[in-house]
Amino acid sequence: MANLKEIKTRIESVKNTKQITNAMKMVAASKLRKAQENIINARPYANHINDMLRTLKNKNTSADHPLLAEVTGKGKTAYVVVTSDRGLCGSFNTHIIKKAIAQLKEDANADLICIGRKGYDYFRKHSTNVTEHYVNLFNDMDFSVSVDVAEKILSLFIDENYDKISVIFNEFKSAIQQDIVVKQLLPIVPIESDEISKLDYIYEPDEDTIIDELGKKYVHVDIWRIMLESSAAEQGARMTAMDSATENAAELIAKLTLNYNRARQAAITTEIIEISSGAEAIQQ
Amino acid sequence: MDNIHITVIQPTQIRIDKEYDHIIVPGVDGDFGISFDHTPFITKIRTGVLQLFQNEINEEYAIHDGFVTVENNVVKIVCDTIERKDEIDSARAKASKERAENRLKSSEDNVNFRRAEASLKKALVRLELNSK
Repeated sequence: MANLKEIKTRIESVKNTKQITNAMKMVAASKLRKAQENIINARPYANHINDMLRTLKNKNTSADHPLLAEVTGKGKTAYVVVTSDRGLCGSFNTHIIKKAIAQLKEDANADLICIGRKGYDYFRKHSTNVTEHYVNLFNDMDFSVSVDVAEKILSLFIDENYDKISVIFNEFKSAIQQDIVVKQLLPIVPIESDEISKLDYIYEPDEDTIIDELGKKYVHVDIWRIMLESSAAEQGARMTAMDSATENAAELIAKLTLNYNRARQAAITTEIIEISSGAEAIQQ
Repeated sequence: MDNIHITVIQPTQIRIDKEYDHIIVPGVDGDFGISFDHTPFITKIRTGVLQLFQNEINEEYAIHDGFVTVENNVVKIVCDTIERKDEIDSARAKASKERAENRLKSSEDNVNFRRAEASLKKALVRLELNSK
């Protein structure tokens, strides 16, 4: 049995770790609440842009617009891989990276655009396909940041003649559940919606200009939404991971305390035996 | 009740959700007014001043980059940024104006040039509204 002092130090160190994981859990929980709020607040804007684009697309004026037209050529595809910047969030990043690897197996020439440090660190070492990367975006998220990213992706799409750009990211389901989603970003596929207006709008300056601008805006909003989803999912994953880490630490402490008490008792028993046998020896 | 309902939606929040008599919007092809029974209409906004009127009181906002949809007396404006007159930080606007001007002088790259131009316009509108 390990000696008393050793067990005591170990208990102390596990206690410290438990405090840290517990604090991280709390922080993640409060960040999660904020991230969820952000998702809800972003919805009206996204929905409205989507409805407008859908209305325009239904008029069939957009058939040959580069951002909307389905391409069936032999051009390249690209994947935007959204991971987190920081670790300690369970299998959050591992699953995304695995999914990306699976996609790359199907299409070895596909390019990668990494958002988030974890994904970039992995693919920098294991793949030569990384064309663009963004790290440390999640610290202070702002709509203008996602506009910058979206503009870059848009110009890549136009200049490099990609057939398709898809995003691989964690979608936020609930605090304990994240779904990995592969979503087509470009060409744009507006979501089906019931609120399609049948009115005959007047467009100014003209439909093509509006579609062009609206298409770009749509991508801005899409990237913004994806970043918000991923960030909320990350905090959720971290919360769950830190929760179970705290639980494990508590279990470990209980086990160690038991060991400590046993060792202490054993030591006392030995001491009593020593004393009593000493006393007996004197009497005789 | 000849009012029109105005909703101004930003990426992060619904900014305005109220009834007004009429409004004046800075469209790409010039300012235009919207009052009751306006025809269904979609246009792009340029960086400029949005004016909202209700009972002879008008509110002025600096608005930047977005779209307007008009249908059945409901006006939906989506925009990246919008600030009420008294929210404008004139010192910041001045600084960003100077920054944009310097960048315009030095930059040749197309993207940066357009970006600087946009932020210069934004700063000028803010200053204009602030000095009124």
